[in-house]
Amino acid sequence: MKDVKAAINKDRREFVKKVLRGSIAGSLFLVLPMGGEGSIQIPEQIPGIRGKEYDMSKQRFAFIVDITRCIGCGSCCVADKREYDVPDGHYRTWVERYIKDFDDNVYVDCPNGGLDGYQKPRTDIPGKIRDTFFVPKLCNMCERPSCVQVCPVGATFKTPDGFVLIDKDYCVGCAYCIQACPYSARFLNPKTKTADKCTWCYHRVRKGLLPVCVHVCPAKARKFGDLNDPESEVSKILASPEVITVLKPDMGNHPALYYKGLRREVV
Amino acid sequence: MQSYNTHVKRIVLLLAIMALVGYGAKKVLTPSTFGEYGHYRGAAIEKEANRPLKHMTNYSCKSCHAFEWEIHEYGKHKTISCEFCHGPYANHVKDGKYVGRLPVKKGLEIKTLCIRCHNKEIKARPKDVIKTIKMPDHLKSQHVREDHICNQCHHVHAPLRYINRAKKVLGLLTGKEAGNEGR
Amino acid sequence: MTEAVHTGMAANILNYVFPNDLHVHWSLMIVLYPYITGIIAGAFIVSSLYHVFKVQDLKPVSRYSLLFALAFLACATWPLLNHLGHPERNWEMLITPNPTSAMAGFGYIYSLYAILLIFEVLFIYRPTMVALKAQSTGKLKTLYNILTFGSEDLSPRSIALDKKIIAFLAAVGIPMACILHGYVGFIFGAVKARPLWSSPLMPVIFLLSASVSGIAGVIFSYVLIQKYKGRPVDSKCVITLSKFLWGAFIICFTFEMLEIFQHSYLKTHHWDMIHGLLWGPLKTSFWRMQVGICSLIPLFLLGILIIFKVREKAFVFFATIASGLLLLQVLLMRWNVVIGGQLMSRSSRGFTTFHPAFFEKEGILPAILIMAAPLVILWLLGKIMPMWEDNQPSTEPTTRT
Repeated sequence: MKDVKAAINKDRREFVKKVLRGSIAGSLFLVLPMGGEGSIQIPEQIPGIRGKEYDMSKQRFAFIVDITRCIGCGSCCVADKREYDVPDGHYRTWVERYIKDFDDNVYVDCPNGGLDGYQKPRTDIPGKIRDTFFVPKLCNMCERPSCVQVCPVGATFKTPDGFVLIDKDYCVGCAYCIQACPYSARFLNPKTKTADKCTWCYHRVRKGLLPVCVHVCPAKARKFGDLNDPESEVSKILASPEVITVLKPDMGNHPALYYKGLRREVV
Repeated sequence: MQSYNTHVKRIVLLLAIMALVGYGAKKVLTPSTFGEYGHYRGAAIEKEANRPLKHMTNYSCKSCHAFEWEIHEYGKHKTISCEFCHGPYANHVKDGKYVGRLPVKKGLEIKTLCIRCHNKEIKARPKDVIKTIKMPDHLKSQHVREDHICNQCHHVHAPLRYINRAKKVLGLLTGKEAGNEGR
Repeated sequence: MTEAVHTGMAANILNYVFPNDLHVHWSLMIVLYPYITGIIAGAFIVSSLYHVFKVQDLKPVSRYSLLFALAFLACATWPLLNHLGHPERNWEMLITPNPTSAMAGFGYIYSLYAILLIFEVLFIYRPTMVALKAQSTGKLKTLYNILTFGSEDLSPRSIALDKKIIAFLAAVGIPMACILHGYVGFIFGAVKARPLWSSPLMPVIFLLSASVSGIAGVIFSYVLIQKYKGRPVDSKCVITLSKFLWGAFIICFTFEMLEIFQHSYLKTHHWDMIHGLLWGPLKTSFWRMQVGICSLIPLFLLGILIIFKVREKAFVFFATIASGLLLLQVLLMRWNVVIGGQLMSRSSRGFTTFHPAFFEKEGILPAILIMAAPLVILWLLGKIMPMWEDNQPSTEPTTRT
């Protein structure tokens, strides 16, 4: 850590910039400068990202949503909106509530995308409720993304490390990708006038931090991790006999977003 | 000098010039990092990777708020992010400098916040994940006034801290729980 | 999903739309875009019927239909540019077109088609413009000089060369027009996430309705312009055009209905949503207006006109009405496909709503302006290039109104 301290003293402003860019390779800690001489060291949330050159071609990440654990608090939605200043009425991630009665009627709602949580029970359901659960939704980071296929200018793309991202300085805002996404994960951001969507917090992952929705989830319903690491929670879940599925498999998009305990009513 | 096909020659020349100008424009205007990894600007990846962080982790709060951090880290609420209730780190500290006060929930706000997760009326909440209660039945069963705010009994950062301590004093805690110091 | 959702009774509780599906992103502008390109392709086909297939009856509108296509071509990109979030970045479509994108080719296909159409017009009008150049002075003379590429050679050899080039351009233009508009249909047909769009029939239907709108547009505007100018309508030309119109529309309408019938017979999980859409939010605009008023009436009207002996004057009158209705039919079809497809949420559980405002960026007023612009351009084109065979400068040099 000595050289880090020396770097801070040498050119504080430059150091801060570097830290925020996450470009100090070799450090196992994300170092946050503090007033005076001190600094905070934030441990890795995803083991194995820091401390070496990040090789995009060698990464494999997976996101697992555990339906059996989601409590519908909406923390993920709130954190996401704050992290990205998502304009009202548009959602990078949202949480749906499913209610199923004994006649197989399915009632789904998602007031304000789940931003306010689910504070009141539904009172408009006539039948006897059989089952009820929450389903968080976000970008599926497809292996074969429809949005990338249809983008006319190459402003949305799949990175070598498997993230589907948007080049906001290049997007023309034609909204074709929004039409093509089978999961309705995309929207046209009225501030930037470009397409926008969940990035699985690429900027956090590259710094060894979990996506912000995973980090704030109090119920551990959202899990993110490295599939190259056999000890990671996601590797273990995917290797277990749990029922793991993806959304709309018939679309042929092969999402990297898995759902644990997903019911057949969910689309 | 004019022949029967002068106009055709000129048109072909014009089209050739247009094609050349178009080709040149394509070469000149194509962004430099385009095609580095695929049909997109390679530089866009680094730009997204360098997006400034707004949320940090609970560790980012530790150095200044060690006391609260300690209570929270060993309590039942340890899985809750500091920033969910208090707001993102970037609104509080920027470049190592204090930039703004983060909100602290008070009074009825606390009750609303607790009920957001712990409301038993929302049946979709799995029992093994979260303990839910019904209001005001919970207050009645605990024999307290119905206008009680949750934090009058439950420490917001470690909800069973006071309760387990009281139980310990009264000798109600047994086995493992007793060893937990009532956090 | 139960039947209850379609009755509207339970719609308010079963109706679930994905939060990002509440907005209809492709608005009125994207309704106009295939409408305009369709008219271009259709009108071009009319002129090619004369120039390539030598349908002599169509001589009176052979030049007019080309200018008609050109006027709409000039405005085809306007709705798109108005729709884009960043219109200033439109050049990226030409600089870095994504080979896998159904939309990326538009820039190139449109540009090639524009070049072809412009040069076909210039070659056809060259003798006329050489004559006009001799009569005009000042800026107009310079303009004619540029448009004729400085050539005044009207020798038989030169004219013969022009004729060959015109025939070539007109012949190449037919597949190009089919590509231009079939391709527009593919932009929609290639979206697998929208059950109403994703169909291999989509390019076919778009192409056929393009022919319908182009032919109908030529008949409708030709008759109105002639009536307004007090000139005689060539009823033989209108009758021949009406026959082509009727034929194209029969096939077009058959495919449109086949598409729905196929969905209704297969009864996959998509049918619940498509049924809910067509008998729900689209009931008026699809069944009542597109199918009822604007398809069945002209279908039978044209049939009666063509099969039975009808006086020429009555034929022209009713054919014009049928053409007007068919122009509306195609516009409604574009609306029902483009907007209708987006009203169905990908949740498969509900429909959103769409009501364009009058003054907004992609609202009704810009739509009216964009649709009026080609007519203004056509009027301007008519100032430079006489549209009608009977007022070419050689016979009547003063009719440039």
